[in-house]
Amino acid sequence: MLPKLFEVPWSDYAPALLDGLQRTVSYTLASFLGAAVLGLAVALLRLSKHRIMRLPAAAYTEIFKNIPLLAIIFVTYFGLASVGLRLGVFEAGCVSLIVFYAAYLSEIFRAAIAGVHGGQQEAAEALGLGRVSTFAQVILPQALRSALPGTNTMFVDLLKSTSLLVTISAAELMSEGRIITSATFRALEVYLVIAAIYFALCYPLSQGLLWLERRIRAGIPLSPKRRRRLRAARALLAEKGAPV
Amino acid sequence: MTDAAQETTAIVVPEQPEVVVRIENLSKSFDGRLVLDDVHLTVHHSKIVAIIGQSGGGKTTLLRCVNLLERPDNATMEVAGETIFAGDRVTIRNLAKLRQSVGMVFQRFNLFPHLTAVENVMLAQLKAGVSEEDALDRAVKLLRRVGLAHRGVAYPEQMSGGEQQRVAIARALALRPSVLLFDEPTSSLDPESTSEVLRVMRELADDGMTMILVTHELPFARDVADWVVFVDGGRIVEEGKPADVLGKPREPRTKAFLASYAASH
Repeated sequence: MLPKLFEVPWSDYAPALLDGLQRTVSYTLASFLGAAVLGLAVALLRLSKHRIMRLPAAAYTEIFKNIPLLAIIFVTYFGLASVGLRLGVFEAGCVSLIVFYAAYLSEIFRAAIAGVHGGQQEAAEALGLGRVSTFAQVILPQALRSALPGTNTMFVDLLKSTSLLVTISAAELMSEGRIITSATFRALEVYLVIAAIYFALCYPLSQGLLWLERRIRAGIPLSPKRRRRLRAARALLAEKGAPV
Repeated sequence: MTDAAQETTAIVVPEQPEVVVRIENLSKSFDGRLVLDDVHLTVHHSKIVAIIGQSGGGKTTLLRCVNLLERPDNATMEVAGETIFAGDRVTIRNLAKLRQSVGMVFQRFNLFPHLTAVENVMLAQLKAGVSEEDALDRAVKLLRRVGLAHRGVAYPEQMSGGEQQRVAIARALALRPSVLLFDEPTSSLDPESTSEVLRVMRELADDGMTMILVTHELPFARDVADWVVFVDGGRIVEEGKPADVLGKPREPRTKAFLASYAASH
């Protein structure tokens, strides 16, 4: 049985698969970026002092957390088209993934921001940092740290969810798999290969993100600017300074 | 050391107004509960004022009004030669500038945990427009001054409480403030760390730093402070020279407080 398992002329399909792979990556990156931005905005609204800001944000989160992604995809692509708002496949796919994952990410971000100790805000204010600097330099970096594990999980999850876009023929990896299957009638072989490609994408990705998490937790500076600053600091600290 | 070097490491800004902090008719309530009731306090240049009293008596709130972390309901306040608050509103345009002229050290240190010691001391300088090089230079000098040059690139969680509080003092000094506020700086420290931090504070006092200090360390207050203020129930009950307030208190409430302090120490 085994020799018969692999009969699809894969070299013929390699360009198509590569194309699908590229699209999967594009969907993932564009959607994740959008979801992160929207998620952060929703999280900030939910942390607002004003009820009028909190309420719509909370409603948004609850709605999109509690309906299936596939329903969102169908509404965005088929539903909106029926009332005259015709989105392209790529746009519809990205919008669906963004609104769905933004709901989850907003929950993660909200908890992370709320978890930063109140004394941090005060210390920053007492040093004369403005609202924007306080958030960007003090609150956000700490929140990102605690949000990282959950965010990373969502990132990998989003990559896998792009496969649902097969339902609107998004020409990503899964869609290519379906096309190859209908041409070869070798469903088991084709979908095993497709699954293997997803695994080959997701496994290194999640391991890489774990590695990143560990590095950040260990306090290893990531930006070149900080690395330079700390190198200069080390050099200066090592000098025998004049007593002050 | 050359004169130029001395100038860059000087902690105290020259050309200070004689009165650094003037507070008049300060009242503040939380949810209808009056926590400060018509408080008056004047702090002169190079003087150290210790505020003592029971927890919940309003000491910390009084301190936090000086840099407007807490907004008074009513007051006239002048800090570093500028009227910052009059009647029921903030009169200073630039709140950041006020905060830069008032350094603050917290009970729980509140260092930024994602930054190393040296970066903690640099951050406010960079945001205030100091160049990278100058900010680093000053941060390193201040860390040396609090005896922590060897811990400069350590993160707060890698440091002891005493070390963290010394970094916090360096951070509060970074922008050359006219006055330093200390909010129970040794209350979360063990005895050894406490003496480290008190040593640094004593050195600052010797250098002529103006300080307002909320503290439970009465022996330290007696030793270092020029003026002691006993706050209870939101009012200044008694104030005067340390030897008087702590040695021969006039008010019954001050006596009671000192007696309960003596009993527990």
